[in-house]
Amino acid sequence: MKKKKFKLSNLYLILVFAVLYAPIFYLIFYSFNAGGDMNQFSGFTWDNYTAVFEDVRLITIVLNTFLVALLSSLIATIVGTFGALAIYYTKKRQTRNALLSMNNILIVSPDVIIGASFLILFTFIGFGLGFASVLLAHIAFSIPIVVLMVLPKLKEMNDSMIMAARDLGANNWQVLSKVILPSITPGILAGFFMAFTYSLDDFAVTFFVTGNGFTTLAVEIYSRARQGVSLEINALSALMFIFSLILVIGYYFIQQHNVTKKQKNKKLHQTEAVTMR
Amino acid sequence: MKRLITLVLLILMVSGGIYFSVSQLNKAQGITSDNTLSLYNWGDYIDPALITKFEKETGYRVSYETFDSNEAMYTKIEQGGTTYDLAVPSEYMIQRMIKEDLLVKLDHEKIAGMANLDEQFLNKAFDPENQYSIPYFWGTLGIIYNDKFIAEDAIQHWDDLWNPDLKNDVMLIDGAREIMGLSLNSLGHSLNSKDQTELEAAAEKLDGLTPNVKAIVADEIKMYMIQEESSVAVTFSGEAAEMLDGNDRLHYVIPSEGSNVWFDNFVIPKTAENLDAAYAFINFMLEPENAAQNAEYVGYSTPNKVAMELLPDELTEDEQFYPDSKTMENLEVYEDLGRKYIGIYNDFFLEFKMHRN
Repeated sequence: MKKKKFKLSNLYLILVFAVLYAPIFYLIFYSFNAGGDMNQFSGFTWDNYTAVFEDVRLITIVLNTFLVALLSSLIATIVGTFGALAIYYTKKRQTRNALLSMNNILIVSPDVIIGASFLILFTFIGFGLGFASVLLAHIAFSIPIVVLMVLPKLKEMNDSMIMAARDLGANNWQVLSKVILPSITPGILAGFFMAFTYSLDDFAVTFFVTGNGFTTLAVEIYSRARQGVSLEINALSALMFIFSLILVIGYYFIQQHNVTKKQKNKKLHQTEAVTMR
Repeated sequence: MKRLITLVLLILMVSGGIYFSVSQLNKAQGITSDNTLSLYNWGDYIDPALITKFEKETGYRVSYETFDSNEAMYTKIEQGGTTYDLAVPSEYMIQRMIKEDLLVKLDHEKIAGMANLDEQFLNKAFDPENQYSIPYFWGTLGIIYNDKFIAEDAIQHWDDLWNPDLKNDVMLIDGAREIMGLSLNSLGHSLNSKDQTELEAAAEKLDGLTPNVKAIVADEIKMYMIQEESSVAVTFSGEAAEMLDGNDRLHYVIPSEGSNVWFDNFVIPKTAENLDAAYAFINFMLEPENAAQNAEYVGYSTPNKVAMELLPDELTEDEQFYPDSKTMENLEVYEDLGRKYIGIYNDFFLEFKMHRN
């Protein structure tokens, strides 16, 4: 009985992953199609991949997309972390709740509205559209996400540690850098990666604030879609999928490495303690 | 803390690297601010080889940006903050942009090759004497059908869509002007009608089409028709050209009683910075050789009559895409109806869509 249940849950898991990954593999499969469209597979070719590497415009757009994602999530993480600290240390409960709600409103408000508001704002103050406007917009919609990722870690933090640090004579900066930041680091990292992915695949906001020769991948693919997406895009998607796969695997091994190191250290300490006794 | 600082430094280094490579790429392409033509066009709507050729011939660099709908393009240009030198909107949007004073009046002295254009595509109501726009591509709205399910020539008119044999088998493009327009045309009215009784009659007639409609969709029509999900669809000629490539059994028909003919024209927005480059590009695209090459790549019909002589005969003699003059006479261009009537069209179309469910 128990064995059967185990199998069923496995089957379920496999099914879920199949549904999630099937479209991606379908797309990757057709990136090797010599036929030129996704209606029929007529032969294997690398042409679509060479086309990607020859398309300087597309490569520039990919690089721009990553540049915006990296910088905007970095800045948003810094601003958002301090924002979370400010919200956490607001003494009055009502103000704190109000601030938090304001943060949440920004998360649930639709992207198109944020995008349109930015377009109106930028053009109203005479700010040219382009790299800077996209970057600012991405920072803006990433900050609330970071705040939301960091706050729970702050709540988990043991306040008596801060009191202990103060008792031992730590000043504000030392408390922040030696106690608070290390204990909320997982939240900060999570916030950064969340912001990064949000920025990478955002279409609606970006669409409104691009201009003057600057575009991101989402906007470019969307406007190409009208004529039917070419297999070049399939090839590019396949490359990006493999790239993120490598990143995740790399992250997994680093994590694994750290865990075993920690366990080793722990054992070492234990044996030391035993021998010392 | 140390970990965070390392991470920040790492990100900054990677960003710096990316920034450096982007600027190198731009430099390699020779993009600087004063010799660049900023072209705002539909996605994948020009042969990339032509851009390279233009750059080589004139020394200008092209920064190609894309949009996916007239409305999107309009918003960007109307709000300002952009410096597009050349854009390619469709006719009703051109009319609106002229009305709102968003376009530069063209200096015809600077344009060579106007004579290459077929007169029937010039001097249209949306832009009399082509003071603001130069035709780029044109096309029609029509019916595409699959001869595997439907006898050849069985579909010739809009009325054939109402045939009870086609129950739950017709796909329509999701556009109020298009669908209301075909109903108006089938009743013998203009598709720019502003007559309330005519509009009501058209809406009522559409009601009768409901049982035949399988879906009201957008670009997906292309895929559905190629994969034979449905036997009949209403769509644009350029889309149809691509469908015909994907499935030999498909045919495209322009109903002779009337349909829509649309234009995508070059215009120069008021925000343009490099007028010389814009004129240079218009002239370049008016050269028959280039227009022909572009028409072959994009698949829409070219308004350039000298270019048509360079195109293969089987293409230009294909009445599906270059209809005879008699059909052409009955084709109508959309006019900007103004806010009130666009609202009425939309309401009727919405009602039709709701009845379907």
